[in-house]
Amino acid sequence: MDETRRSLLGGLAGAGALALVGDARRALAQDKPEAAPPGTIPNEAVKKEKVAAMQYHSERPLTGSVPAHEHDFDVTPSDRMFVRNNLLTPDVNAAQHRLTVKGLVDKELVFTLDQLRTAFPVVTLQGMLECAGSGRSNYKPSASGTPWNPTGGMGCPKWTGARLADLLRAAGMKTGAAHIAGQGVDPGMVATAPAVIRSIPLAKALDENTLIAWDMNGAPLPKVHGYPLRLVVPGWVGSASTKWLSSLTVLDSPFKGTYMTASYVRPKWPIEPGHKMPPETVSTEAWPVKSMITSPAPNKHFKGTDHIVVRGRAWVGEGSIDRVEISTDEGLTWQQATLAPAGDRFAWRTFTFEYQPQRFGYHTFLARAWDDRGNGQPAESTWNPLGYFWNGVHRIGVLVEA
Amino acid sequence: MRRRFACAALALAASLPGVHAQDPEKLTTGPGAALTAQKCQICHELAHVTRSRLSRGEWVDNLQRMRERGAPLTDAEVDTIVAYLAAYYGRDPAPAPAPDTLASASDDPIAKLLAANACTSCHDVAKKLVGPAFREVAQKYSGDAGAAGRLAEKMRAGGSGVWGAVPMPPNAGLSADDSKRLAEWVLTQK
Repeated sequence: MDETRRSLLGGLAGAGALALVGDARRALAQDKPEAAPPGTIPNEAVKKEKVAAMQYHSERPLTGSVPAHEHDFDVTPSDRMFVRNNLLTPDVNAAQHRLTVKGLVDKELVFTLDQLRTAFPVVTLQGMLECAGSGRSNYKPSASGTPWNPTGGMGCPKWTGARLADLLRAAGMKTGAAHIAGQGVDPGMVATAPAVIRSIPLAKALDENTLIAWDMNGAPLPKVHGYPLRLVVPGWVGSASTKWLSSLTVLDSPFKGTYMTASYVRPKWPIEPGHKMPPETVSTEAWPVKSMITSPAPNKHFKGTDHIVVRGRAWVGEGSIDRVEISTDEGLTWQQATLAPAGDRFAWRTFTFEYQPQRFGYHTFLARAWDDRGNGQPAESTWNPLGYFWNGVHRIGVLVEA
Repeated sequence: MRRRFACAALALAASLPGVHAQDPEKLTTGPGAALTAQKCQICHELAHVTRSRLSRGEWVDNLQRMRERGAPLTDAEVDTIVAYLAAYYGRDPAPAPAPDTLASASDDPIAKLLAANACTSCHDVAKKLVGPAFREVAQKYSGDAGAAGRLAEKMRAGGSGVWGAVPMPPNAGLSADDSKRLAEWVLTQK
């Protein structure tokens, strides 16, 4: 502060002058850019709840994930769960929050959180959520959208909540009910931003594993993961699992909005890479069969006598995992890995493969999972304009030294 | 690992003739660059653009999606932005950086500044567009001696919450002198 201003403040040290200074400060603060608009959580606060290994792919909107070797857990800890917002992270007052069930129902219902917790059987289950664009940066040529790392835009935590089916039955569905649309209270950067609304077919809504969840890994949902209430549609693209859920609308057909028609769609028939979306598209729903090696970390060094345990996780959005194979010769031959016993219906499964190196130098491991319907992971996934559903074989390399 | 790759990629880019390592928050100059930066930055950091290489058709789809999600864009603005992005962030090699001819049409120094920073894509002197009319701003801060300094700062840093829900994107490339000049001019538009 320069001499003139100091003497001015000193000379006017009355209450009025102080108030003036305060007003000017407030006016200034009001005109300054806000890190987070009112009613929302700043990205920095979200990041504080995440492990240092989390890599952020964009700030507006916030997206982030940890790579495969940071996912070496049977149950994904909350601080490693991927972050993918379409809009801003709302700061929701749980006591005032309501969930409305409406549309083609016999009786419109409105629940407080406490009512939801007591009105229906409470279920805890482990279930996969994965962003439709997970692994997008594997696509060549590059596809449009968040550049998700080659691995990591997913997680498999435990969820606690009520079954969506129980709520729908309580409301009573009218003839013609076909899709259920979830809507959250997350606000956009612009007032003209439409709400993120996604709908799922009735069969998936009635699946006993589809939940209205309030806890993640035994604690209230972290704010960025949908506090205080979210849909959990395990096995399906993450966008189906509406966060900050405030309404469920029973519809007679899929919801028609930008997040249904312009995003989360793929060409009905494969197209030439690098071209725009064709008129005929299909919605992304259940994830195809996929796996990743979560240990060892890429480029880990071993001693020549070390026994190497290759460990990873495998999952599929429909059906179940049949087997996981490992190749140590770049895909020429494959050997079966050991699968851990099956857990919850949409939980990922841990696999292990024991390996004794017979020479020094660089060794590679490829993992390929198969489901019970005969679908396996391809070397490369079919290119699509928005880069969804990458499930190509995962490959890592390690060094064996003398 | 990823960082090491990024460094290697930057070093490679720097070693190629005609390719320069660029600030991910700065668009290559070319016709339509200022308008593109202004519109995208309302909701996104510019890295969303600078890391992308998409065909014209894919950019058309992208702009259509953004419009459906509330981006304040006219048809003419979409055409300008698509043409710019398809050229400078396309799948084919980009042309050399060029003056943003769409943003430097006038000789008047204030008109030049307004155009170069695409201010008029969101503001008009007399009527509210995406942002407030310059006249409204001038009237609101009439008699406020500190307003010019604060407005100048806000032009450079961006902001929201004063005039409504659409945030003003930052204009980091605007010099302190130019933003002061613009702010003083805006405050005379009563």
